[in-house]
Amino acid sequence: MQILKAENISKVYGSKKGSKQYMALRNISFEVDEGEFIGVMGPSGSGKTTLLNILGSIDKPTTGRLIVDGRDITGLSKDQLAIHRVKKIGFIFQDYNLLETMTLKENIILPLAIAGYKAQVMESKLHTFAKDLGIMRILDKYPYEVSGGEQQRAAACRALITNPKLILADEPTGNLDSKSGKDLLELLTFINSEYRATILMVTHDVFAASYCQKIMFIRDGEIYNELYAGDDKKQFFDSIIDVMSVLGGEAI
Amino acid sequence: MIKLSTLAIRNIKRNFKRYVMYFFSLSFSVFTAYSFLALLENEQVSNAFIYDDRYRALLLVFGIIIMVFVMFFLISSNNSFIRARKKEISTYSLFGMTNRKIGKLLFIETMIVGLIALALGIGVGIFLSKLTAMILLDISLVSFTGDIRFNIAHKAVYITTLIFLAIFCLMGLSGLRVINKFELIDLFKADKMAESNSEGSIIALILSLLLIGAGYYLAIQEDSFLVVGASIPILVLVISGTYLFFWGGLSKVLHLIKKNKGRHYKAINLISISMFSHRIKSIASTMATIAVLSAVATTAIATGFTLYRSIEKNVYDTVRFDMYFYGGQEEVLDDVYKAFERHKIKILDEYTTQRYKCSPDMEPIIIEGREITFDQENYFRVYSESEYNRLNSVARLNLKPVHIKPGEAMFGYPNMIKGLESKINGKLLKFSNQTLKITAVTQKNILAFGAVYTLVLNDSDFDALYRSGDIVVIDPYGEPLDKVTVFKFENPLKFRDLNVKLVQILEGKTGSYRTAYNHYSESLETFGLVCFIGFFMSVVFILMTASLLYFKQIMAAEEEGHQYKMLRKIGMDMQVEKKVIVKRLFPVFLIPLVVGIIHSIFAMKAADTVIFSYMIPVENSYLTVLSYSGVMYGVYALVYGIFYFITKGQYSRIVK
Repeated sequence: MQILKAENISKVYGSKKGSKQYMALRNISFEVDEGEFIGVMGPSGSGKTTLLNILGSIDKPTTGRLIVDGRDITGLSKDQLAIHRVKKIGFIFQDYNLLETMTLKENIILPLAIAGYKAQVMESKLHTFAKDLGIMRILDKYPYEVSGGEQQRAAACRALITNPKLILADEPTGNLDSKSGKDLLELLTFINSEYRATILMVTHDVFAASYCQKIMFIRDGEIYNELYAGDDKKQFFDSIIDVMSVLGGEAI
Repeated sequence: MIKLSTLAIRNIKRNFKRYVMYFFSLSFSVFTAYSFLALLENEQVSNAFIYDDRYRALLLVFGIIIMVFVMFFLISSNNSFIRARKKEISTYSLFGMTNRKIGKLLFIETMIVGLIALALGIGVGIFLSKLTAMILLDISLVSFTGDIRFNIAHKAVYITTLIFLAIFCLMGLSGLRVINKFELIDLFKADKMAESNSEGSIIALILSLLLIGAGYYLAIQEDSFLVVGASIPILVLVISGTYLFFWGGLSKVLHLIKKNKGRHYKAINLISISMFSHRIKSIASTMATIAVLSAVATTAIATGFTLYRSIEKNVYDTVRFDMYFYGGQEEVLDDVYKAFERHKIKILDEYTTQRYKCSPDMEPIIIEGREITFDQENYFRVYSESEYNRLNSVARLNLKPVHIKPGEAMFGYPNMIKGLESKINGKLLKFSNQTLKITAVTQKNILAFGAVYTLVLNDSDFDALYRSGDIVVIDPYGEPLDKVTVFKFENPLKFRDLNVKLVQILEGKTGSYRTAYNHYSESLETFGLVCFIGFFMSVVFILMTASLLYFKQIMAAEEEGHQYKMLRKIGMDMQVEKKVIVKRLFPVFLIPLVVGIIHSIFAMKAADTVIFSYMIPVENSYLTVLSYSGVMYGVYALVYGIFYFITKGQYSRIVK
């Protein structure tokens, strides 16, 4: 089943009169099916994050159409988009973006609270996911009391808890040491296989990318290449490095 | 290299929005300081109050209180201002500016803004000096007609400037201390761990409520001596309780709220309460201070206003008539008529009567361990029903005519004695060959004329007792008592010249005299000044405390901005955001205000016990006091509300 369809997405910055225009994305089209784990790679300034923001409806495309779960979201108002985000999309950010004023538990249930769920429902959902993600013990702690890896687990739990159609991860391992990074990637793989969650991850880390099933390479705002993971992980890893070196990215 | 002063000016321009509120409150405090000093110098004001050094001292003490308060306010807001600019300041430091130089830069900024505010404050003070003097004289003198000259109080300008320059220097020093505390490494850390959450303590919460409760309990005691004696303990209990509540108790309350999942897990509550409880540590002292100051300010204006409103009533409760005198009728009456004629003021009514007295046998009454006896010394002033009603028609108390049945009597007593009514009703008055029963009791003993208690009898009983010699018009030595003459005339509280003339005529020639005007102008002088000071002080308190809250919230907004950004990313819509902002800010303003007003309500109860219950002649004077106080609470809350909306607007703009 198709979860996301991007049609000729372009993003132009600086469209006001007099200022120089800069095209961050040029006519990007692609589709994402349910249960896919896709990586987006590209050198700095290639438009990865812009693309992710548009897919997450945090930013609006200048032209093009975006269909999420069968609904065209390009024409929606700000508030409609907010509701769309909380129901359909889960976010995992590089700097976790947990609210430091709340305990991990409160952070995790926040999207549910915004969506207006009942307290008991929230509790039971929290219980299921927190158990699977191994963060039950630290639920009552504040973000600054736990490690980066644990914070990112909590953030992943928050992204999962609404059963979103699409999870968008922006450099989720960027702030983690290699051990925690690996743990998180295994967690994402687990989420992907266990809950059949669709994940789209932006990264410039080849090791992280090698966990994906498919990788889209972006250069200068355009899709440059696509790679599919085969059975051999090592070979996939090597071919990613090859593409990245051609792209001039900062891989390894 | 850029000159420091250029950089300072550029900084002020860039931080203009933050500076506006600061500048405004600074100018206002300069204005207040100048105005008070100028009042002390003002010729008419010192003439009006010259005979009493207390007034001068009152103004001076008040001026000093304001100054001290202003100093703390300025230093505290300056320091939080500097803290909010931590990043900017650390950047200077990163690029090699020494702390001394940064301190100098900030000092120049303070001075530039300060000097402008000083000039503006004094300028406005001079411009409005005529008005402030007029307001003071107008509310504290009965008929002020003099022309107040517009003048510049040189000494006041000089002193104000000096004091504020000294305060600015202190601000500079204290700012330097804040800068020295900064670590360069902080620049590279996010603000994240700046504050930690506290769950509060249940002991602090209970203890704080106990302390406040104990203070309240002392304040509502009926015995005025006890309340006066306990005033210092009350203050200590309530103030320490308030601080303890904000330091430890409030966090606990929030923690308990958080535990109620059904409510807390609503998005708006979840976000706003977490944000608020996260802030509480840094704002607890401010909120406690504001609660205490609000209590002081609201109590001050409520007292002032109640006193002021009660003056006119109180005048007639004390004097009862526009004018009365006993004795010397033959000598003075002609002159009195002439004086009225000359001043073209109509006499509305006039009556002369005997001061009848009697002392029947009556059982003593015991109230709170004190015995009240009725004998030759503590005699009754006694009236027949028709005489009483006639006098009543001349008095200004608006009492209904009474009707007394034969064999019965109405007992009147001053409202100083509490709890007398229930004990005296039904008591018997034994005369030589007749016994009357007290069937009515009134506090409005309007016509005692030198006695403490009054009796009103049926006309026929009165005649019989007069014939039997129970009722007499002679003193214990057999001399006849002076007759009393009462007057009612037009605009009794307006004409000073007439009053001067009447006093001249009556002084020395009559046994005793009183005019409503004399009493009125004396009360007005004292209470007017108290009222004026209370009002001014409240305005200063409101402005300072509310703008301190404003600062703290604006600084918080800058730190909280990224949280809102994040919340928007995960799908918080505008409606929710607006509600979150309201719930985040409203308690910060509301809680101290409510705590302050509750304190004040109890303080007014104490004030009622000590002062107003004797001034306001109604059954439950506290209700009257509360109704006057309520008006002032409303005004106070309104001004606070305006600050809340300004803060909300600015906060929303920053987090957007």
